[in-house]
Amino acid sequence: MTENIAPYIALSGVRRAYRIGGEMISIFSGLDLTIPQGDFVAVMGPSGSGKSTLLNMLAGIDSPDSGTLRIGTSRLDQMGEAARAAWRAHNMGIVFQFYNLLPMLSVAENVELPLLLKPLSRKERRIRVDKVLDLVGLAGRAKQYPALMSGGQQQRIGIARAIVSDPGLLLCDEPTGDLDRKSADEVLEMLRFLNRHLQKTIVMVTHDPQAALYARRTLHLDKGDFVEEKRAA
Amino acid sequence: MSTHSRQALVMIRTNLSSLPRRLAISTSMILSVALVVCVLAGFLAMAKGFETALNGAGSPAVAVILGGGTNQETGSDIPASVIRTLDAMTGDLGVTRNADGQLVASREIVVPVDVKQTTDGAARTLALRGMDAVGPSIRDRIELSAGRFFAPGAREIVVGDRLANEFGLAVGDVIRLGAVDWTVAGHFSAQGSAFESEMWADLEAVRAAFDRQGQVQSLKLRLTDPVTLKLLQDKVTTITGTPLVVLSEADLYAAQSGRTASLIRLFGWPLALLMAVGATAGALNTMMSSVTDRTVEIATVRALGFGRLSAFLGTWVEAIVLAGAGGVLGLFASWAIFNGWQASTIGANNTSMAFQLAVTPDVLVTSGLLGLAIGILGGALPAFAATRLPLTAALRARG
Ligand SMILES: Nc1ncnc2c1ncn2[C@@H]1O[C@H](COP(=O)(O)OP(=O)(O)OP(=O)(O)O)[C@@H](O)[C@H]1O
Ligand SMILES: [Mg+2]
Repeated sequence: MTENIAPYIALSGVRRAYRIGGEMISIFSGLDLTIPQGDFVAVMGPSGSGKSTLLNMLAGIDSPDSGTLRIGTSRLDQMGEAARAAWRAHNMGIVFQFYNLLPMLSVAENVELPLLLKPLSRKERRIRVDKVLDLVGLAGRAKQYPALMSGGQQQRIGIARAIVSDPGLLLCDEPTGDLDRKSADEVLEMLRFLNRHLQKTIVMVTHDPQAALYARRTLHLDKGDFVEEKRAA
Repeated sequence: MSTHSRQALVMIRTNLSSLPRRLAISTSMILSVALVVCVLAGFLAMAKGFETALNGAGSPAVAVILGGGTNQETGSDIPASVIRTLDAMTGDLGVTRNADGQLVASREIVVPVDVKQTTDGAARTLALRGMDAVGPSIRDRIELSAGRFFAPGAREIVVGDRLANEFGLAVGDVIRLGAVDWTVAGHFSAQGSAFESEMWADLEAVRAAFDRQGQVQSLKLRLTDPVTLKLLQDKVTTITGTPLVVLSEADLYAAQSGRTASLIRLFGWPLALLMAVGATAGALNTMMSSVTDRTVEIATVRALGFGRLSAFLGTWVEAIVLAGAGGVLGLFASWAIFNGWQASTIGANNTSMAFQLAVTPDVLVTSGLLGLAIGILGGALPAFAATRLPLTAALRARG
């Protein structure tokens, strides 16, 4: 187990409710969770259980109604909207289920987007973009447009964009949800590589038990709380 | 470049390159802005053209004396006694005298006459001006462009170039004005000014033909220098018996052009502004649907850490670019349609005056700015809405 390692992500007493049709629906009422640095966590659970909500809170896109949410040394629950945006830009990468690439931009330009938020020269940005495109096996596709590429390739562009600014944390919401088995395995292989060899902490939401096998551990979210799945390492 | 401007630039770029996705509604915004700009430019060009025609008519070196308490030629009357008194005045009046020391003055009357147009046969009321033989030479910038000036006492007219063109009046033609026939003796140019809408003839011949014996409406004198107008005014005030007004020809026409040009603008501006309000509502609608169309893209880059400012600027600049495109289109159209367009209106002396619409740089700038304002105002609210997109909801949608 991982209890002896200093937690990197720590949620305690997190509450979050949504107003749906005039009624407040509670998603989390006092969630506690710790994730150590270098972990690769798969989050599973029924639809509507709050997986995306959790991931959005970790990303600073959504914020808890109450409770504390700490990542590294930052208290996300105490930051304003602009501070959270800046924090995102420097500390995490997000991989979306539907890739969310900008169709008007080339592969390289899509990957470059997070670097525009950093004080880097055009040349420095190019070097970094080339490096991550090489890492995801898309060197030579830099000038193409994503719309013409397969789902697996588009998701690899999405991963390249998520890691181009070298964040410590990767958040993936059903990264293989829209992919066939073979493409999904390639993407998951890549995530495992990033976790094992580049020490990225990864939180991945998935519906796919096979995908969860790539993670170091799996958390089952149900009725607003976690049950850790025990499995042989 | 700061990271903020880099964010804004890439947002503006992606935004503009996604315009083909919203071709129809973006085109409709461009066209409605173009229409507003074109309409305003049309009115302003009309007012400007009118001013140009009338301002060109007046010279600051020509003095006009009017009688009877009016400051325009219509209704003015100068008794013969006044002219005798002026003639008898010795010393410097500030006006030119001939070699014999007599005042160089032109007594004038203006008679409205109906003339049939060659094209459609419709009659138009034109100004026939009776004047002394020195009349043309007192004025500035009058040149004979064909034939000769009228002979004293003869039923001859010289016709302004613009009228000659419009009514097909060639030298030697005979035309019936009132009850008698007149021969066209020549054409004159006045550099496009309002004078070109007049016909000039000998004073006595006009008086005789229209039963205006002895009448003088205005007296034109040549000032030795524009500043000597004051001197003439001082001398004329010593003449009692009838109220007299002395003003420069430039002021006479400027006052008239000012009234009509203001009227044109007074009509044009509210119409253009009303249309602009409609176009702004249209722009608002166009830009709101642009934000809806780009929701996932905006939310995605915001999730990557882009600031709200980039979302605002991306949308706002799109609105301004579309309005700018509409403005350019409208200006180009107005220039192509209106510039040099002949128009006529009731000018001086209740007679028709022709002028050309003038789409000048200041007309273009003013109407263009109105077009831009539509984009700036109509785009601001949607741009603000773009900064307030709920990211969680936006990211739930399929990218
Ligand atoms: N922005 C929002 N406004 C209102 N309700 C929301 C919002 N986001 C989530 N919810 C509600 O909160 C609940 C949890 O949503 P969430 O997206 O976290 O579930 P999930 O576990 O990711 O589900 P899925 O497996 O279908 O993606 C759902 O009932 C959803 O309708
Ligand atoms: Mg979800």
